[in-house]
Amino acid sequence: MKSETHRIIKKLFLNASAIIGFVLLGVFIVIAIFAPFIAPPKEGRDPYMMPIVTWTSSPQPPSPEHPFGVAGKRDIFYGVIWGTRTAFRVGIIVTVVSTLIGLFIGSIAGYYGKLFDEILMRITDIFMAIPFLVAALVLAAILGSGLNKVMIAMTIFGWMYPARLIRGNILQVKEEQYIMAAKALGVKDYLIIIRHVLPNTIFPVLIQASMRMGSLVITAAALSFLGVGAPQGYSDWGALLNYSRNWMLGGQGEALLYWYSTVFPGAAMVLFVLSWNLVGDALRDVFDPRLRV
Amino acid sequence: MIVLRREFYFPSGVEGLIVLIFYIIRRVLFIPITLFGISLIVFSMIGMLSPYQRLATFISSPDRLKSENVDQLISMYGLDDPIPVQYGRWFKNLLQGNLGWSYVGKAPVLQALLQRFPYTLELTLYSAIPIILIGTWMGVLSALHHNRTLDHSLRIFAVVGWSFPDFVFGLFVLMIFYSTLGLFPPGNLSLWAEGIVKSTSFRSFTGMTTIDALLNGRLDVFINALRHLVGPVLTLTYVQLAYILRITRSSMLDVLQRDYVRTARAKGLDERIVINKHAKRNAMIPVATVSGQTIVGLMAGTVIVEAIFNRTGLGSFLALAAQQLDYASIMGGVLFFGLILIIGNLLVDISYAYIDPRVRLD
Amino acid sequence: MKKILVLTWLLVFVLGISVAFAEIKNPDTYVYLHIGEPDTLDSGYAYDNASGEVLTYVYENLISYDGVNLQKFIPVLATEVPTVENGLIKDNGTTYLFPIREGVKFHNGNDLTPEDVEYSFERNILFDPANGPQWMIIEALFNFQTLDDLVADKVGTPLTEMVDENGNLINPDDATKLIEFYQQVIDPVIEVQDGSVVFRLVRPFAPFLYILPKHAYWSNIFDKETCVEWGCWDGNADGWWKYYNVKKESSPLYDKANGTGPFKFTEWDRTQQKVTLDRFDGYWGEKAKIAQIIDWGIDEWGTRRAMLEAGDADQIYMPAQYLDQVKDLDDIKIESGKRITVTAFHFNWTVDKTSDFLGSGALDGNGIPADFFSDIHCRRAFSYAFDYDTMIQEVLLGYGERPPSVIPSGMLGYNPDLPMFEFDLAKAEEEFKKAWDGKVWENGFKLTLLYNTGNDARQTACEMFKENIESLNPKFKIDVQGVQWPNYLDAYKSGKLPAFVIGWIADYPDPHNFIFTYFHSSGVYGGPQGEAYINFAQENLNPIIEAAISETDATKRQNMYEEIQKIAYENVLGLTFYQEIALFPMKTWVQGWEFNPIQSGEANYNGVYKAE
Repeated sequence: MKSETHRIIKKLFLNASAIIGFVLLGVFIVIAIFAPFIAPPKEGRDPYMMPIVTWTSSPQPPSPEHPFGVAGKRDIFYGVIWGTRTAFRVGIIVTVVSTLIGLFIGSIAGYYGKLFDEILMRITDIFMAIPFLVAALVLAAILGSGLNKVMIAMTIFGWMYPARLIRGNILQVKEEQYIMAAKALGVKDYLIIIRHVLPNTIFPVLIQASMRMGSLVITAAALSFLGVGAPQGYSDWGALLNYSRNWMLGGQGEALLYWYSTVFPGAAMVLFVLSWNLVGDALRDVFDPRLRV
Repeated sequence: MIVLRREFYFPSGVEGLIVLIFYIIRRVLFIPITLFGISLIVFSMIGMLSPYQRLATFISSPDRLKSENVDQLISMYGLDDPIPVQYGRWFKNLLQGNLGWSYVGKAPVLQALLQRFPYTLELTLYSAIPIILIGTWMGVLSALHHNRTLDHSLRIFAVVGWSFPDFVFGLFVLMIFYSTLGLFPPGNLSLWAEGIVKSTSFRSFTGMTTIDALLNGRLDVFINALRHLVGPVLTLTYVQLAYILRITRSSMLDVLQRDYVRTARAKGLDERIVINKHAKRNAMIPVATVSGQTIVGLMAGTVIVEAIFNRTGLGSFLALAAQQLDYASIMGGVLFFGLILIIGNLLVDISYAYIDPRVRLD
Repeated sequence: MKKILVLTWLLVFVLGISVAFAEIKNPDTYVYLHIGEPDTLDSGYAYDNASGEVLTYVYENLISYDGVNLQKFIPVLATEVPTVENGLIKDNGTTYLFPIREGVKFHNGNDLTPEDVEYSFERNILFDPANGPQWMIIEALFNFQTLDDLVADKVGTPLTEMVDENGNLINPDDATKLIEFYQQVIDPVIEVQDGSVVFRLVRPFAPFLYILPKHAYWSNIFDKETCVEWGCWDGNADGWWKYYNVKKESSPLYDKANGTGPFKFTEWDRTQQKVTLDRFDGYWGEKAKIAQIIDWGIDEWGTRRAMLEAGDADQIYMPAQYLDQVKDLDDIKIESGKRITVTAFHFNWTVDKTSDFLGSGALDGNGIPADFFSDIHCRRAFSYAFDYDTMIQEVLLGYGERPPSVIPSGMLGYNPDLPMFEFDLAKAEEEFKKAWDGKVWENGFKLTLLYNTGNDARQTACEMFKENIESLNPKFKIDVQGVQWPNYLDAYKSGKLPAFVIGWIADYPDPHNFIFTYFHSSGVYGGPQGEAYINFAQENLNPIIEAAISETDATKRQNMYEEIQKIAYENVLGLTFYQEIALFPMKTWVQGWEFNPIQSGEANYNGVYKAE
């Protein structure tokens, strides 16, 4: 056991990209935890709301009071820092809940097979066939706007991927000797699933989940683009980038005049997604070679 | 969903054909059920909205809306009938081939969809090819230089594209290639080219301008259409590269460790042959699945690129319909996409069975 | 792989070279980019700017304004403008006579006759689509707001209760009643008389001429023959009810147009939101200077701007806040003009109790009671708490003005010296302390302000309220929420919004259009202000508003409208944010473009052409 852990840790950390991934992730975690100190919120205000610092809508370049500049009337630095918390919150909640739902449904479909499998997989197909953007927009109209509602939409239309993955893996593993033995011994089904099937099939799901953390942030940004998502002024990288959208072509003859409104929130998003990707890859490398993405 | 069973082999010959046909029939029979399920889910979502919200799509001048008119309009469009009644009405029309009127597209829904579909298909095809070609090329390179500089650089390059929202890159492309260089303008066609395409002497075979232009023998229109495609294709390609790269890379890494590759190497075969003939071919199998997914995903996900490059397409149609709660357009569009997706998945699953001799259609 | 790369670069190179750089791109075509697209090409139905832009140049009206002078008319399809002096306005302002011009051709070659004029107005009145513009004609001629009400008054039952959704009579015996209705009520009001058309109003209506001229596209003149051929009402008394309130897309004129204007309608490409108009060479007047107009809806600002810079567009729509991006470009000039519009903030005196925006629904610091704004101190506090100057200077970049109330400058009734509120947080605090016997200040409150997403100025206005009011007392909480249009409509129309930002663009340049809309209990913005407001209006405002519209003497009307605005100020019926000065960026090669305050959108295709 000890040498196994040793092997894993060694593999994880000898890898340059893995190190970068974990370090980046660590930096983001630190920023998220210490946000109230790095970018102190105003008294009595919701700390997630970026403070309005000017009434002109054109972006203002970085300055001592606003190290990343101003866009959409708000301080970009504040938005990037607190947006880290938002990114983690959205990512973790949606990933965890949708993965749990997916695991539950996929396990039943895979383990019990036959009719269960057929029906559940058809239901999965139906959900997967609905274009996500349409579903999210309609749901937003029903539930109202707000980040929670967006998370609900992403969860309702996000469980299908882990479900299919775990189902496929379970179908493979189901015929293995030790499962058949356990069944013959009369061990209860749910115990078999929890103690034997899942541990052997769960790694791809975990890897997929780690990468979805990053992609969810991108999806949330796309929804901000379409006008649903976090309320105006909420610290969210996607929303910040959206402020830069109408200023990207520059002004006063200089195309890159408003570079800061795109670069800072954009860099945060890229690095966040990159870190999760690298971490996911590192985990995959470790549990290689039997498992595919 | 294909299950990988290592013990079974794809039955060949007549027996194989019969298995295949039965499989296709079974899947095809499911299509109407799946579509029905989709329509129920989406319609019930729409049904949860109040009549006022759903009225919005019929109003063009919101500031001038008078209170007295609101109730009249609501009953005129049947928005206060019970939801099952409204669904029944829609379903009945559907059976007669009438998908209703699209307020967003200002045409009958089916017509609106069919008018826009060729544009989306064209953009998708022209993007899918570079995405798959470049993505797999980079993925193989990455795997061959596992954990060395090239691997890291390629992966970071791809991830940057994937994590930036498309509009950032799209506007960037517009700025450089259009505003500064004047090379690749937004829109479907230049005015003069559009005049030719819409004239009676131009026959529209597929609805896709590039192909039709070639079929009509008009090279100038072809080049013009191509010029207008470069911007969006560039944007879509860069943004989607990462996914194919990652799949190819991990699949390739996996295959490189396999027994048959080691055997080939042990046999003393030239490294290039090992890679090109044995490793690559087997590594491409999961890529095939993902490619199918990517193509279908592209069709639904082009709304931002369409907005920035001012291109006609299904993406913006669907997004606008969803924003304005134009339920006829939403239902029609969702069914349309559902059909494409299901057929696409089916084709991918079948081709997967052919490519990988170890797969059984189950 | 390498080969593919090389090929790709070659391709790019080849494509790039095939670019032809011309000085003025498309010299015979004027390309104008805006947002959205026309709703319909049916002038009886259209009530939005985008439709208006197209209709105004494809169809024509009886008269037009004399350039930008909105107090003077010139004849167009009529040969003379009716006035009291020339005897064409008779019977104390209830009869108007329009001699119709001869030799005018429609785009398809048909001749214009007085019957066409009669038909156009009658057809539109009998059409009267819900939420359409025909109420103006019906109000002017019959003193009712809708055809439905008119029928109810004359026949005894509302029209909507007599016909089903397919336009058929529920009770076939009603046919005679409706035929009589047409013959006795509608037909005599508009008649042909020796080469002229006569309008007979039920009572004098001062602004009658103002709802007829060019830019008032609901008064466009159709060709009767063409309309009948395409499937509209055939002009007969029997069966007219089948054409009442037909759905927008079912109207034969939805996507076709045959007018007498300088441009003829060529194509409406709905997959690109593009309308193409070509010059009409058979036009009776001075031919258009440009051969083709492309009226194109492109919603993405960045793309519009890029196309303007590249010369692929000649003029674009630009919200004021992006001025910095284009003002320093060499070959672009910025025209400007003061539109006849106001943007104001009004209160709902009786909010629907089921509203989500009332918080707890009581003055306990977590909400507001439904009648919060029925207390004048609350309204006054808000009026002092808005930073009007910053709004205009920083949000509109100076391109706006403050009218004292809802009558914008340039109109009868406008008086810049009328009292108005100034930004004064001290006074705001005072008023809050007086509100609801001090409970507001003691317990605090919480309410939600909604705005329709996509409108930056309105969003900023709500945010400004939040910042300034919350700074007065930590117990004051204002939530600002942006919602998509369907949800906004829902909240607005069901009376759930405690307060709202609303703008109004003039239908016609008469103060009645603004005053009635904002203050009359039956006005578009009257109802949403709540029951308590409706009662107040019925007592204090309706009488004087109605008197002002029937009055024909201009000086007396001026005094009456000033009186109304004073009542509005003293009772804090609302606060006016600004009157917009619109900006029109275009290429320097655009010549002959002229701003008209009453124009629908930004386009003004009259004498436009392209030259250095």
